[in-house]
Amino acid sequence: MSMLQRISNFISGLLSLLSGIVILLVPELGFRFAMLILGFSLLISGLRTVIFFFRMARHMVGGRSMLYYGVITMDFGVFTLTLTDMPRLYLAVYLVGVYAFSGVIDIMRSLEARSYEGSWRMNLLHGSANVALAILCLVFVRSANVLAFIYGAGLIYSAIVRFIKTFRRTAVVYIQ
Amino acid sequence: MQEDFHYYATYCAAYLAGYSHEESMDICYGAQLVDLCSRTFLKKLRAPLSAATTQLQLELMDAPTDRVGLQDITRIWASFHFLPYDLYAEKKHCSKRYLDKYRLICNSNGALVKDTVMLAKDRDPGAVGIAMHVLADTWAHKYFAGTPSLVINNTNYYFFELLAGRGRQIKFRHNASAPDDPDIGSYISTIYQNNENSIMNLGHGRAGHLPDYSYIRYMYLPAWGDYSEVVKDNPSDYYHAFCQMIYAMQYLRGEHDEFELDRYAWDTAEPYKVEIQGIIEKRRLDASGDWRAFGQRLSGKKLEPFELNKYTGEYIKADAAQRDDTYLGRFIIAALRQKSMVTNKIYTSKNKLAGFSVDYNKRGFKGIKDFRKLLDIRIEEVSSDVDASEDI
Repeated sequence: MSMLQRISNFISGLLSLLSGIVILLVPELGFRFAMLILGFSLLISGLRTVIFFFRMARHMVGGRSMLYYGVITMDFGVFTLTLTDMPRLYLAVYLVGVYAFSGVIDIMRSLEARSYEGSWRMNLLHGSANVALAILCLVFVRSANVLAFIYGAGLIYSAIVRFIKTFRRTAVVYIQ
Repeated sequence: MQEDFHYYATYCAAYLAGYSHEESMDICYGAQLVDLCSRTFLKKLRAPLSAATTQLQLELMDAPTDRVGLQDITRIWASFHFLPYDLYAEKKHCSKRYLDKYRLICNSNGALVKDTVMLAKDRDPGAVGIAMHVLADTWAHKYFAGTPSLVINNTNYYFFELLAGRGRQIKFRHNASAPDDPDIGSYISTIYQNNENSIMNLGHGRAGHLPDYSYIRYMYLPAWGDYSEVVKDNPSDYYHAFCQMIYAMQYLRGEHDEFELDRYAWDTAEPYKVEIQGIIEKRRLDASGDWRAFGQRLSGKKLEPFELNKYTGEYIKADAAQRDDTYLGRFIIAALRQKSMVTNKIYTSKNKLAGFSVDYNKRGFKGIKDFRKLLDIRIEEVSSDVDASEDI
């Protein structure tokens, strides 16, 4: 993990922790707050990738995929920001969907890392917990307070895992 | 390149250039030490850490890739393993950030090769070994840059080994538990990381060890190459490297007045050409055995295997004032000198990827304290030159 990735991971953890706490304390405001953070994060990340494409990756073989990735991420960010005025239930379902999706990605990453003997256990645990929490949220989707509690706790748990990932060493296959 | 070429083949080249068995052993030891002189090794010796010529996997795991961290990585890898070919190379419609990385792409017969060889002139065998390592690597590592860069060093699925005129797609995997398998064309490489400065994108990591194997011919699309295929003919490149090493060492011994680029000691190697090419072209991962046997036949002396701690005792036991006169002391100074020279050349090309280089005459000594040693030596050399001219 590069220094920049570590910093970005730490900030993501911090925002996740903050969102989790706000959702637990003020559910109504918390879901909107989480949507705003998610939307802006995606927008900024997409914008950075697009800038990277124009400054560097457009000269690289296969570099156009960076442009597609950046534009799709930006688009997803804008879409997320447009949803902030929706009723709380819809926001919760949307956020839970994103949460489950990130869990599946973590599981896939861990399986990939396992194939080359990289660090995979932490990702698998994190991914599985995310998916499990998302399922739990869907089970209690009718009870707003329970849903807020589960989702908020899940965000705090994710933040803790992110902090651990940020400060641990990364196993690499390196060619010398 | 690996121990087979940096140690055993360098011994053979040194012996053919006219060095004695003992001198050749010291030269090839220096050449191979470049691949092992890490900060971990230098810490054990309590030697200047800035003299590191390589980074171990564990060191790289913790290496920061912020601006300063990247400069440290680039100083090491560009100075000793991926010598830049053209620091003033141009490419249209590029950002400065891209161009800085593009200009660090390694290739043979660049101006810095000449500077490297000339830096070893009238120096001891360790310095000659460093120069030979750097020179040889410009052939093996061509087309890759000694700085982490996705946009320069990345490779993709379009990667074929050329076997009897046919291309066989190479299967890259990222599991290091099994060795490379030339029979089925399965090789280890670093994993794809879309982060520009990921350590996975340093040097030829994305192409695995292919540049280090003398037998292989392959074609691929380098990330910087605008979709133009590049064919890498390692047997030819390795033979060029061998003959250029002989020529460079002949120059260092005073047989030539000047070191010229793109010149090779074809005649010296000619009587052994078939044997050397046989060793180079044989398909296996390590050619040490054959190179060693060839070296022993050349000199009639036993060629000791590389032993990392051969000179460490001498260095550790020496008084602080005497350390610079030991083999490792002189090697460390030569490493600092090479790193300083390459960093200066990169910096003066208005590229700060390897860090800063300060003109002592204008601003005095600034920066990493370890390099003060070079200044002290220079002052000593200048004052002894003045004394000698006054005596005359």
